[in-house]
Amino acid sequence: MLAKYIARRFLASVIVVLGVTVITLLLMNSTRGSYVPGIDLNPALRPEDIARLRANLGLDRPFYEWYMSWIWAVLHGDFGRSMIDGSPVMSHILDRLPNTLELTGTAIVIGVLISVPLGVIGALRRGSKTDHVLTVVSVAGFAVPQFWMGLMLILIFSVTLQQHGLPWLPSSGAFSAYAGGDILDRILHLILPATVLSFFYLSVWSRFIRSSMLEVLSQDYIRTARAKGMSERRVVYLHGLRNALIPLITLIGLELPGLVSGGLVVEVVFGWPGIGKLAFERALQYDYSTVMGVTFFATLLVIAGNLLADLLYGVLDPRIRYS
Amino acid sequence: MIGPSRVAELDVPAAGVETGAARPAQSYWNESWERLRANRVGMAAGLLIVVFALIALLAPLFSLVVTHVQPQTINLDDTFFRPGLRHLLGTDELGRDTLTRLIWGARVSLGVAFLTVAMSLSVGTTVGMVAGYYGGWIDDVLMRFVDMVLAIPAIFLFILMSILFRPNAITLAAIVASVGWGSVARLVRGEVLSVKQRDFILATRSIGAGDARLMVRHLLPNVLPVLIVAASLGVGQIILIEAALDFLGLGIQPPTPSWGNMLTNAQSYFFRSGFLVAFPGITIFITVLASNIFGNAVRDAFDPRLKS
Repeated sequence: MLAKYIARRFLASVIVVLGVTVITLLLMNSTRGSYVPGIDLNPALRPEDIARLRANLGLDRPFYEWYMSWIWAVLHGDFGRSMIDGSPVMSHILDRLPNTLELTGTAIVIGVLISVPLGVIGALRRGSKTDHVLTVVSVAGFAVPQFWMGLMLILIFSVTLQQHGLPWLPSSGAFSAYAGGDILDRILHLILPATVLSFFYLSVWSRFIRSSMLEVLSQDYIRTARAKGMSERRVVYLHGLRNALIPLITLIGLELPGLVSGGLVVEVVFGWPGIGKLAFERALQYDYSTVMGVTFFATLLVIAGNLLADLLYGVLDPRIRYS
Repeated sequence: MIGPSRVAELDVPAAGVETGAARPAQSYWNESWERLRANRVGMAAGLLIVVFALIALLAPLFSLVVTHVQPQTINLDDTFFRPGLRHLLGTDELGRDTLTRLIWGARVSLGVAFLTVAMSLSVGTTVGMVAGYYGGWIDDVLMRFVDMVLAIPAIFLFILMSILFRPNAITLAAIVASVGWGSVARLVRGEVLSVKQRDFILATRSIGAGDARLMVRHLLPNVLPVLIVAASLGVGQIILIEAALDFLGLGIQPPTPSWGNMLTNAQSYFFRSGFLVAFPGITIFITVLASNIFGNAVRDAFDPRLKS
């Protein structure tokens, strides 16, 4: 049953991935005229030269031909070469991936560590002042533009502190070149961007855990546990929290694509050398082999995340049956 | 943008809501409106959005009467003014009045947001209704396409399309809506699947109503509550997305002021004036906050069972 389910989901995923690459390539393809802006106007180039340059980049081939050879290469693990610098797209991705994982991973861990206790407190003291304050914070978290929060943190913790001659936090990059990137230096660079990202996760997840916890605590088995004379602490943490956390797995699974694209705006604001910033910069330069590679990679993550979340859900909650 | 569809049979009032026998029977719409009106905070938030929209509409008047400058008026003698009597919210690096620019920026932000919602709703509703109503291969094809659109990380799609279309307000709305319609379609399809099972659809069909009539006159009114909720919850998110695109330089281009692109430059003048960073962000924050609070109020009023 499960094997059949996975097989069907897998097949659907293949279709979706193929569709996504076609859509992306069609979009990139429509910009192909703009690749190397102004090349047609350069008086130093003869028309033959321009044609040769375009041919070198494969820009003279029709769309479907380009796509077929691209997808064939991808199936063999070759993402092609960047149109800007000629280096393999895969090496670009692998270069930036650790930085992105460092940032989003930290943010997710901080988000979980803080949102779980906040959600539990909100549920246990439902309607209290603490609960109201937590609600307000979470509603605010939904409404703050991430890039603006980043700018404000830079303004306060980098600019203003520096102006007053106080110790300040670095506002850009993943490490300072001269410090050679030791652990402390990296952590200092991580503080501001990770704060922005985790604040968002925190406001979403703490609400979620609160309502999930409230639902679980109203179940019969919680009443049974209390009736047996079990201590409140054991009831809440052993029986309540464990079950309330199950839906969180889905949410975190759905965050998997966010590992790559979710931090894009934050990466741009903080000059963080991650995948999102790579895709952003390369898209502006019409480097479509790189953009295709990153999009393909990110889409795989979306689909893997969805599937993983569904499967984990079934493992953690045996009542769920796949059909 | 919009949560999963767990809503069915919306026209049945929720259990436990004060439907005493003594009270005269009320329509679903009346009851929902009463519930919404009773929510003070929600109504205040809605009122704030209306006020902002009016200010945006009357921006030229504000320029003439209140601030006496146009958003593009450059005054190099007045650069980096601090907030004060002469310029209520200060000026930027070219001496342009921040308040005037924020008011004109409201036209962009709110205009694009409302336009985006309208576009995603109309496309999403059409696709979702056709898919849900006809079922079979039509449903399969349309929904796989929706899967694809929703599987591409939205921000990449926005970037690619912004480069392609050199956005103005209308194309920008279309770009953001090109992703938003997917979740609306899913939502509507789910609703239609449940509504079309009901007896009144069979009855209407049996007296000879055609497909088009069934969809527009009988399915649409039943899907409407979900659409209203989706629309009011969507506005805030769209304002955030639009501001982020403007900030990245992919949206509305200077010199037309927008809340997002006012922040692009502010980054270069951190050391001169922190106010340039603060005010546009606070404006976005307040607007999105009000939209979200109003959206939640609408959801609670129109669909009491979703209330957490």
